Amino acid sequence: MQMFSTTFRSRTFLCVVATAAALVFVNIAPQAQSRPKFYSDDPLTREPETQDASKVQDWDIGLIADLTLNLFSKPGDPTPGVRAQNINTIDEVPDSSWFTNRIYSRPVTIDEITRGPNVSDGPAPGKWTVIRPKTAGTAPGFTVRDEKGNVWFISMDARDYPIAATAAIAVATRLFWALGYNQIETHLTTVRPENVVVGEGVTIDSHGRRRRFTSQDVKEVFARANRSADGSYRVIAQRGLEGKVVGGFKYYGTRPDDPNDIIPHEHRRELRALQVFGGWTNLVDIKAGNTLDTVVAEKGRSVVRHYLQDVGSTFGTGSLNPRQGEEGYEYLYEGDRSAARFFTMSFWIQPWQTIDYDEHPEVGLFSAAAYEPEEWKPRVPVAALTRIQPDDELWAALRVMAFTDEHIRAAVKTGGFTDPAAEKLLADVLIARRNKIGLTYFAKVNPLTRFAFDGSALTFENPAVRSGLFDPPKGGYTATWARFDNNTGEAQPIGAATTGTSERLQPPAGIPTGSGTYLKVSIAAVEPASPAWAKPVEVYFRNAGNGWQLVGVERVPAGPAPFSVKPK
Amino acid sequence: MRDRRKCLHPWAGFVLFATALAVNPLTALAQETRESEIAKKQEEKAAQAAPYQPNRYEQIMNNVEESFVSPPSGFFPYFGSVYSGGGFTLGAGYRHFYAREAVWEIKGLYSIKNYKNIEVGTRTPWNRSGRWNTGLRAGWRDATQVGFYGLGMDTVSDDRANARIKQTYVTGDVRFKPSWWTRLEGEVSYDDFRTEEGQGRAPSIETVYDPTTAPGLFSSPKYIRSEGTAAIDWRPAAGYARRGGYYGATFVDHTDTDETYSFQRVDAELIQHLPILRENWVLSFRGRVQSVLDDDDTVPYFLMPFLGSGSTLRAYSTGRFRDRHALLTTAEFRWIVNRLALDMAIFYDAGKVASRRRDLDFENLKSNWGIGARFHGPTTTPIRLEIAKGTDGWHLVISSNAAF
Repeated sequence: MQMFSTTFRSRTFLCVVATAAALVFVNIAPQAQSRPKFYSDDPLTREPETQDASKVQDWDIGLIADLTLNLFSKPGDPTPGVRAQNINTIDEVPDSSWFTNRIYSRPVTIDEITRGPNVSDGPAPGKWTVIRPKTAGTAPGFTVRDEKGNVWFISMDARDYPIAATAAIAVATRLFWALGYNQIETHLTTVRPENVVVGEGVTIDSHGRRRRFTSQDVKEVFARANRSADGSYRVIAQRGLEGKVVGGFKYYGTRPDDPNDIIPHEHRRELRALQVFGGWTNLVDIKAGNTLDTVVAEKGRSVVRHYLQDVGSTFGTGSLNPRQGEEGYEYLYEGDRSAARFFTMSFWIQPWQTIDYDEHPEVGLFSAAAYEPEEWKPRVPVAALTRIQPDDELWAALRVMAFTDEHIRAAVKTGGFTDPAAEKLLADVLIARRNKIGLTYFAKVNPLTRFAFDGSALTFENPAVRSGLFDPPKGGYTATWARFDNNTGEAQPIGAATTGTSERLQPPAGIPTGSGTYLKVSIAAVEPASPAWAKPVEVYFRNAGNGWQLVGVERVPAGPAPFSVKPK
Repeated sequence: MRDRRKCLHPWAGFVLFATALAVNPLTALAQETRESEIAKKQEEKAAQAAPYQPNRYEQIMNNVEESFVSPPSGFFPYFGSVYSGGGFTLGAGYRHFYAREAVWEIKGLYSIKNYKNIEVGTRTPWNRSGRWNTGLRAGWRDATQVGFYGLGMDTVSDDRANARIKQTYVTGDVRFKPSWWTRLEGEVSYDDFRTEEGQGRAPSIETVYDPTTAPGLFSSPKYIRSEGTAAIDWRPAAGYARRGGYYGATFVDHTDTDETYSFQRVDAELIQHLPILRENWVLSFRGRVQSVLDDDDTVPYFLMPFLGSGSTLRAYSTGRFRDRHALLTTAEFRWIVNRLALDMAIFYDAGKVASRRRDLDFENLKSNWGIGARFHGPTTTPIRLEIAKGTDGWHLVISSNAAF
């Protein structure tokens, strides 16, 4: 206090100095300093959801509107080449209400693949009470409550087309669960019509009004379904979800009433990656109508959880009949292709048209022969899929390639095929398509991954080589090293580049040792047959005091940083 | 006394400095985390979160979707045919759904040739789906300029005369599918015809023809018509198919209430679609025979089998060739431009009519060829545009049905 009770002159001097300092600091400092590249909590392992989403309301995304908008316009962010926005600094997707890291991120056992999202034994034996008609999708079905009070969505194979549709749902559910998507608990079982009764007060929309849903309606549902020789019906039972169902999600934009949904869906990597996962499994019917959002309580707060609800239109089958030949190869409408066919009288033949399928009625039309991962198309252009970038493709390919043959055969086994030849066919095609994915995307960018540095050696993996699909790079690996200033972004080279033929490289002398220092290593592989590998992956480590922590991986660093693009 | 000239309170400069530190990114960065950065954006969105409002386009499409899947009771636009050759029509109807998937409706059509039709009826199920479906309808139609060119194959287009045909009818039908590939259909109808002088540019029929050249001229028969059809039909849908076939026979009994114009007719029809290269192309064939059974029966000219129309000999006007027996063959080469919406086709039709069944052979057939575009859905062909060339010249076909 003494110092402030001085003369006017000294007070004025202090005031001027403080004000000037403040102004200088405010005006000049930002120009000299940008945000640090890495925050103290990087890399995030879970996408934060900090706001209460209890006010999210149910919405209905119309099928025709969604289909036509995607088919004839390009909804979503028009900016080309935008990096995925929900990735963390090590080029991974944090766990979230959309996605949970499973295969590739951690070992997934055969038992886990077989169980998938299931946590119960399925519907309780006894009567099923219909509580809702089925309003989405074309497969015959309804919603029931079993004798234990659990709710199940029931869908059946279409009449005269047994096994394929229900098998596809069972298998695809396991695969997409292992890939990391929220999936609904799914059981393959049977039901007899006499064990299905209609509950009290069940109604159905009919010609603009509600009317009672009756046993006649149930009969008509069964009439559209395939009856087994013993009079039973094979069904897929999917357990009712916890929480409040609030419709589906679009593959572009954000949900306007969900405060936590700040990343445009077309920039969510796990949605973009459906270009790869969808291609692998031929999930052609990717649309908002096959998704589901629920509001659930999580850590004392309401959040929206997002499901790929219907992954059944997959492999070689639709819900009612085998896949059309062009599905997976062409959109429902493509002006230039239509024009070509118009003027050539359809003598403009595409490779998919001459595929010699190993057709099996329990599988449908599913082949690896003409499958080109980058050419695969769902029925309509899907905003998120059309925005996929090479680093997204690699991320997805790593997961697909993490499925062993045993994983795939275990998943396929859950389809309950009656003919072992069908089971073998489906698994064989999935394995062959998986390998095509590896061959395509591992060659497209530098695929090195799983970086670690212990102060004495840098280790990493080349998944392309480990897959057996590629030879080790003839010229080996080369790494350039630099001290990295997290605040300025400047990198000061350390020594000469180090090289080696194994997935282990020695650092040069002069690696910084202080806690809080950063190291940047640029790693390339020299393989003339894979020129993309020559572009280095830029890897960042932070000295955390007790060792080096991986904090950054960049393969395609151009474009706006993650979490920076706002919905249009 | 304190000096009022001081710039600020002595603390103020430091408060300002501290504030600057607080808002300056550099200082903030020392405390900020990735999570807090994201949280801030979520907080900003929470402040403006609002329920989704579909835009105008989405609203319209949602209404279309609802109307298509389960149309509500109320008024609806209606397109159809009043009578073969009536030309483009516009119409509207009102329907009311009652009971379970049952509908009654009243609808009217008016064509550019002044043809008119009004009909009231009921059907269940409303969309003809299901194993059984039944319907009852009553109506009146007025075809003001039905062309007649004389009997047989040796007529020329200049022989055209027009007749006006009015019909009042009450019809009940039952359709049954024993299996997905078999069909049994029955229909009973009371048909009250009146024929009058024709309108339009061609002369009225009585100025060119008499009862010997135009049997039943100006007759007004009242029929009890009964007909039954048995068919194998393994096409995915009758309204649009790229594979499958139809093989059916129909027996029709026209009992005139005063027994003057009673007759019986049998129709047999074969349709086969042969897809090539996974339906990249389709070869479609059709053969149809219509024959009046008893040579002694008198058949009014307007109920005789005929060729010439948008679905028979397509380069010829409706009813261009009429007689007691008719043979039609058609071959189409179709190429699929877009599987969802558009087929193109080159077609060739050939056929003949004859007064004697034994003359119904493959000699001296009238033929035409043409090209067409079909805008279709999975089960229907709402727009078919074709141009055909025959001996009468070019003919444009605009139809709201599949050719066959």
